[in-house]
Amino acid sequence: MRIVVLTKPVPDPASGGERLGPDGRLDRANSPAVVNGNDEYVLEKALKLIEAAGEGEVILLTMAPATAPETMRKALAMGATRGVLVSDPALAGSDTVATARVLAAALSTLSFDLVFAGVDTSDGTAGVVAPGVAALAGLPFLSYAATIEPDAAAQTVRVRRITADGFEVLEAPMPAIISGTQALGEPRYPSLKGIMAARSKEITTLSLADIGIEPSAVGVDGATTKVTDWRAPAPRGATEVVREAPDEAAKRIVTLLAERRII
Amino acid sequence: MRPVTSATRAPGPFRLTEEQAMLRDAVRVLADEQVAPRAADIDRTGEFPDDLRRLLASHDVLALPFPVEHGGLGGELLTVCLAVEQLSRACATTGLILAVQELGSLPITLAGSPEQQARWFPKLASGEHLIAFALTEAEAGSDVAAARTTARLDADGETYVIDGGKRFISQGSVADLVVVFAVTDPAAPRHRRLSAFVVEIPSDGFAVTRLEHKMGIRGSPTAELAFTNLRVPAANRLGAEGDGWDIAMRTFERSRPAIAAQAVGIAQGALEVATAYARDRTQFGQRIGDFQMVGAMLADMDAATEAARRLLYTACSEIDAGAPDAGRWSAMCKLVAGDTAMRVTTDAVQVLGGYGYIDEFPVERMMRDAKITQLYEGTQQIQRLVIARALLGKSG
Amino acid sequence: MAGIWVHGEIARDGSLTKLSTEAATLARSIAADGAREVTGVVIGAEPAAAAEALAEFVPRVLALTEPMTADHAAGMIVAQRLATLVAERQPDVILIGAGPEGRDLAGALSALTGLGVLANATAVRATSDGPVATHSVFGGKLITESALVSGNGIITVRPNSVTAEPAGTAGSVEVVAAAGDLAQPAVPIVERLPAESKAASIDDARIIVAGGRGVGGPEGFGLISDLAAALGGAVGATRAAVDSGWIPYSQQIGQTGKIVKPQLYLAMGISGAIQHKVGMQTASTIVAVNRDPDAPIADFADMIVIGDLVEVGQALLAELRARSG
Repeated sequence: MRIVVLTKPVPDPASGGERLGPDGRLDRANSPAVVNGNDEYVLEKALKLIEAAGEGEVILLTMAPATAPETMRKALAMGATRGVLVSDPALAGSDTVATARVLAAALSTLSFDLVFAGVDTSDGTAGVVAPGVAALAGLPFLSYAATIEPDAAAQTVRVRRITADGFEVLEAPMPAIISGTQALGEPRYPSLKGIMAARSKEITTLSLADIGIEPSAVGVDGATTKVTDWRAPAPRGATEVVREAPDEAAKRIVTLLAERRII
Repeated sequence: MRPVTSATRAPGPFRLTEEQAMLRDAVRVLADEQVAPRAADIDRTGEFPDDLRRLLASHDVLALPFPVEHGGLGGELLTVCLAVEQLSRACATTGLILAVQELGSLPITLAGSPEQQARWFPKLASGEHLIAFALTEAEAGSDVAAARTTARLDADGETYVIDGGKRFISQGSVADLVVVFAVTDPAAPRHRRLSAFVVEIPSDGFAVTRLEHKMGIRGSPTAELAFTNLRVPAANRLGAEGDGWDIAMRTFERSRPAIAAQAVGIAQGALEVATAYARDRTQFGQRIGDFQMVGAMLADMDAATEAARRLLYTACSEIDAGAPDAGRWSAMCKLVAGDTAMRVTTDAVQVLGGYGYIDEFPVERMMRDAKITQLYEGTQQIQRLVIARALLGKSG
Repeated sequence: MAGIWVHGEIARDGSLTKLSTEAATLARSIAADGAREVTGVVIGAEPAAAAEALAEFVPRVLALTEPMTADHAAGMIVAQRLATLVAERQPDVILIGAGPEGRDLAGALSALTGLGVLANATAVRATSDGPVATHSVFGGKLITESALVSGNGIITVRPNSVTAEPAGTAGSVEVVAAAGDLAQPAVPIVERLPAESKAASIDDARIIVAGGRGVGGPEGFGLISDLAAALGGAVGATRAAVDSGWIPYSQQIGQTGKIVKPQLYLAMGISGAIQHKVGMQTASTIVAVNRDPDAPIADFADMIVIGDLVEVGQALLAELRARSG
């Protein structure tokens, strides 16, 4: 079984260094990149599936700047087989429309049974790229997966989709695209062996020419949206730290709630 | 003898790569979750933590220094030091397990034949075997070349007979292999008298005659060894006769940074305990960390630890890249880190006041552990000698 | 801007979702200056009830019957039908609620039409060049404003960003027919599994008491429930608590759960990691109880009590009961 996992390098949420440059785009120099959190969950699921099957490949696919191989390192260390990076200077400043186009075009150069993506990313949390890729690729789209169960013999896949009041159980023939959630299960921490083995794993780079996309259709030139302004959020105000014993602390809480007319 | 250089890439001098950071974090998690809870007990009982040695083995930590072809992970010096540092932050004894595994196997890496490496590395990489480095003697500490243990080639030309003894050998009582340095040619010039041999344990004529009771790293067995008619195959000799002193010196170039890493780890651990204490402890109506005298101490501790750490990482990068002055780098990072560890741990005890002196808090143990980093693998005075000579050029 | 459309999402029971009423209210406020038309669009197997409800918020609603959505994954199907309507009638801006259904719809619609998406808007205002949306990005660290380059496109609206307000006069519902085939593969729903329990909904709760990993087990949520009851609020949870099976997914708050904006969020044994934070950080008042003074939640809570959540929780319960009793 071959599973492609769409991954996106995002600013490390833990670093606190995210900011935009004067052109309204992410100042990548200022924040270290990590693989998007939700992508790690679907990657973990992909790894578990091929481990259970005893065979298969997990291929990382990402559209990112040329420095991305460093970020892919962790995903490779977790156990992915290899990586495919679509990188081209013309891609800088691409919006979600361009991203979906590029990923769909890159997928057409690969053969696979399943494509996994995180439901959204921690930077913009748009959640629109995966369905866009599915529409462009003309593949069945199963979203908000809490469970993923492929049936290799029947060549179908069954997904339990999270809804407002429970679950929908969806079924589709493979190949299919699935967006997955944290409910799929905590990603493993890479082992030392995995970390060291990642060094020799292959990352192929594709340019726009390789996937048949015109530079003018992507990047800043092709963007359908633009950032016009940014600011720090209004500060919440100081945090009151209460270290008193429980009884006294409870009184302090009640005082705060009363002051704010909550009770 | 082959120089050991970085296999795949020269790491950037100022920031860890993604891979190095991942590795450091993986070991840190292990150290925090599994090693730290055992540290106080190890110190109290003075028992070698075989459970933790098996833990390190099962997580491939002990495989780090060995080549991939023999079951190792092919880690560079910086990689090994990152792991030693994280382990030592939790427990200096445990960090030493990896450091000694590296120390003991370096002679084989530097001077062993491919056949010898294939013979011994796999079980060292898997952690099934431990190795010790036996150079120091009662009368030959800093003066390495004054060793008296002899190795006489037997009439059959295929066996050496070793007589003598060694003192202060880390893990000498739990090792499966011991690298023994012995005099093969007493008439040779000082630095050509010694040869190195790998002794497989158990061996007739090899005995552990004493285990030291130490100030610190109490879980690491420090052994006195006695060799009486100890027969070792000539095939176990590393390199040529007379290469011993040179092997030892070249080993120290790569093993001293691991001790520096241990020292940096100990310092960091102490700094963290002191900082947490300074945050939580209130006196005179405020947390003590907000008093300038305490804050200044913590600031100096942090800056010193960071400086020692950065020097260590840079030294590792230089040594891995094959720098010709590897000996100077190695001595420098060990010198600075050892003195830093001693100072930081002493100050950590000071920050905790009375609580720092009792074993309810780990800093008294850390202070006792730190002292050894100023003593073994060459005293601080020897390190200074090495650096001064590098600066001034050898006399005569 | 000539036409502002707002998508009306149909809930399981056929009613209109609260999120859609929020988006519809927003659509009206964008159209407020000048003669701009606001049109609602409802697409589903039985759109009538939701269309009527949406007509309380906008002057005109298009209702399209698409039977396939009854037992197939709706997002891609609705997107295709909506794309056809968009191509025919050329609205300038399409507002879609940024819940899971809406995001699937918006993403597919964007790909099918080539229209750009301003995602997860917390506010939208009209300008002469088109709408400008406000977003909270990087997990809340930055507020940005963005616009559609051509002035036309899709905007997804974050839940609980706008207070829903009916228009005052009911609008009209126009039935439109589906045209053409559905080219994208349709994914059948082979089964529906209801949520395990019927706990009070957290979507619009004024007060939420939430438990995290620190609660330690399902019994611990008994205390959380008692506190919620004493405060007249609902029970929430982090992913860790839901994953451990201590509380149903319907109560989960965070990136894959719900985004809530209560007056009071009382976080018991919750570290405040980013995946949870994005779900509750705009609450008016945040009070945290945690043993760890360095937990991330300490950075954005109004008050953090350092202590054992059971001890503090029980003391708080006693205080609250003493006050009311």
